[in-house]
Amino acid sequence: MKIAVPRMGNLPLIIRDLANRFGLEYIETPSFSERTVEIGAALAPEFACFPLKAVLGSFVQVLEAGADTLVMGGGHGPCRFGSYGEVQKRILEREGYSFKMLILDSPSTSLKDFHEGLRSILPRQHVRLPVLLRELLRVLSKVVVFDEVEKWALALRGLEAEPGAVDSALEDSREIIGRAFSSKEIKEARREAQSRFDGVPLDRERAHLKVGLVGEIFIVLEPYFNFDIESWLGRRGAVVERSVSISDTVYPGGRNPVFGYNDRIVAKAAAPYLSHEVGGDGLLTVGATTIYARRGFDAVVHLLPFTCMPEVIAKGVLARMSSELDIPVLSLSIDEQTGRAGVQTRLEALLDLAWSRRRKGRTAGTAAVGEEGGWKVEDKTFKAAQ
Amino acid sequence: MKVGIPRALLYHHYGERWLAFLDALGVEAVVSECTTDDIITAGAFRADNETCLPVKVFSGHLLWLMDRVDAVLVPRVVSQERGTCSCPKFMGLPDLARSLDPDLPPVLAPRMDLGDRRYLWAREWYGVARSLNGSRVSSAAAVAGLLHGLSGYRAREDDGLPVGDMKIGVAGHLYNVHDHRVSLGLLDRIRSMGATPITVDEVPSRQIHKHAKTLSHRIFWGFERRLVGAVLHWSRTADVSGIIFVTSFACGPGSIVGALIEDQLDREGSVPLMTITLDEHSAEAGLVTRLEAFTDMLRHTARVARRINALQDAGNGGGP
Repeated sequence: MKIAVPRMGNLPLIIRDLANRFGLEYIETPSFSERTVEIGAALAPEFACFPLKAVLGSFVQVLEAGADTLVMGGGHGPCRFGSYGEVQKRILEREGYSFKMLILDSPSTSLKDFHEGLRSILPRQHVRLPVLLRELLRVLSKVVVFDEVEKWALALRGLEAEPGAVDSALEDSREIIGRAFSSKEIKEARREAQSRFDGVPLDRERAHLKVGLVGEIFIVLEPYFNFDIESWLGRRGAVVERSVSISDTVYPGGRNPVFGYNDRIVAKAAAPYLSHEVGGDGLLTVGATTIYARRGFDAVVHLLPFTCMPEVIAKGVLARMSSELDIPVLSLSIDEQTGRAGVQTRLEALLDLAWSRRRKGRTAGTAAVGEEGGWKVEDKTFKAAQ
Repeated sequence: MKVGIPRALLYHHYGERWLAFLDALGVEAVVSECTTDDIITAGAFRADNETCLPVKVFSGHLLWLMDRVDAVLVPRVVSQERGTCSCPKFMGLPDLARSLDPDLPPVLAPRMDLGDRRYLWAREWYGVARSLNGSRVSSAAAVAGLLHGLSGYRAREDDGLPVGDMKIGVAGHLYNVHDHRVSLGLLDRIRSMGATPITVDEVPSRQIHKHAKTLSHRIFWGFERRLVGAVLHWSRTADVSGIIFVTSFACGPGSIVGALIEDQLDREGSVPLMTITLDEHSAEAGLVTRLEAFTDMLRHTARVARRINALQDAGNGGGP
């Protein structure tokens, strides 16, 4: 049995870890390319949202590479993501591929279904529930650390004294964390990564902008589709904070350890503009934008796949928030026809606007990095104000 | 005090109940006029350019109401049935409405969550009733009346229109299909071609649930679940000669459900299916041509089937 899982941000690193832990045989899904998107767009329904098409394309590629079991996330609405697996399965079957599709719903929906799903792909010695849970909790703590180092990189890239220093620290940290196995080793790896980031030479006097990155998780996390917006902003001296990450999505209880604000705070912040859950990351987008605006960010970039239902609602609401909270917000909808130049021109315009607002004193500019306790990049002032 | 209700989206499902609610409070209700070109243009111009056509139409109706009323009623319909949820657009609709124009009158947005326990959301309606200056007693009575009216789903009665030589199932949102301008008079056009259109709300609930359950995937959007159930019912009982799936540009659930229906009907090898996508441009000629081709094709298929049957009968009868 050769398993394949779609790509998104750090997911390939996590899958590698899971495969090592449980002795799974898996095929790494090829990274996204023009061909992936072409295949996906040709097979998928015309108005389906972009992640469905992209993932479908990569499934075709990985099936051609020899995979026979596809694992996909499930859900129960209202976002279309919950139906991806079924639609993709039907399309691939019609195309004549033979494979098994496992649609895994979140364990909080039904632990039994989740367990049974995993049992069908895991080797027998791992399927006992206590062992499984212990290993999954370890993976979870590792996922959090993977996202934390990314958060540090986002906060420091705009300040680095020599270009590429942060990226190499990020690479090394991923390598270090990837090797960790037990809980103790993971903690140790986090410390090591932290000291690696401590060694990055910074130019603290440099004027920088603070930019919030919000939106739909797939587009925000996958550099191929957002044209590597994180490094792009970093190279232009912007300190970036991001609202979505894999660990916040899978972390039980809505604590959002990486973003730093739990679901209740987010919902409360969003309430004047959007007072109900709309599925996907819609509410998070609105809540995070409010939080960033109150913390004095210079601009917010909102990334969404074309026609994404929750994000389109957020986009409509963001237009009003932008004027009421006095913060520039740029919504970029991405699909298979979006061009790099168009996105970058608009981003440049946004940064120019933010700089001119800064010069006119309309935004004060906030300290990029609070230094107590290592690389603490979150700002507690908002929580205190609540 | 005048309260406006846009004649769009779920007004086509629950409009009567909402009007009865306002009536019980003695509040004057203003329903926007039937969709016109101007309403669609205004809505498409002001609403976010990526939203689906029905939300643009809704925005147009809202703008029409703007100067005519003191408040607008935009209930937040979270679910329409137990175990399902609505399209995200309905959940965020009041917030979208508030973001549309700063000069908009206050938006009253009581929650309507038919899949959940009544007492959890009925108090929001009570709050709205009180804010419209209803007394305690009349507010409670209005809410009770609303809850009573909403309990149970009734299939639409036969409307006594002429019956054609064949039936065509029209699977689409009621707010598209029953809006004469948005659907470009689809139902009337089908009637004028000598066929009888049947819409999703004419299929009994039991049939819908029976067939929706057989699908390998549980569809979580309430109306889409009905729609798929109705389509499977039509195709499996051969109740109709053909099915037209009507969706609107950028409809999220429609894109998924359309693909599922197409695939399922293809696997079951049943009645022909045509998909029509509506948008704000009124391309009537295109619609008419496609409808004519579809009905001609259905009639031709029926003729061929009859001839083959006749030949077979003749062959059976004449043999030794």
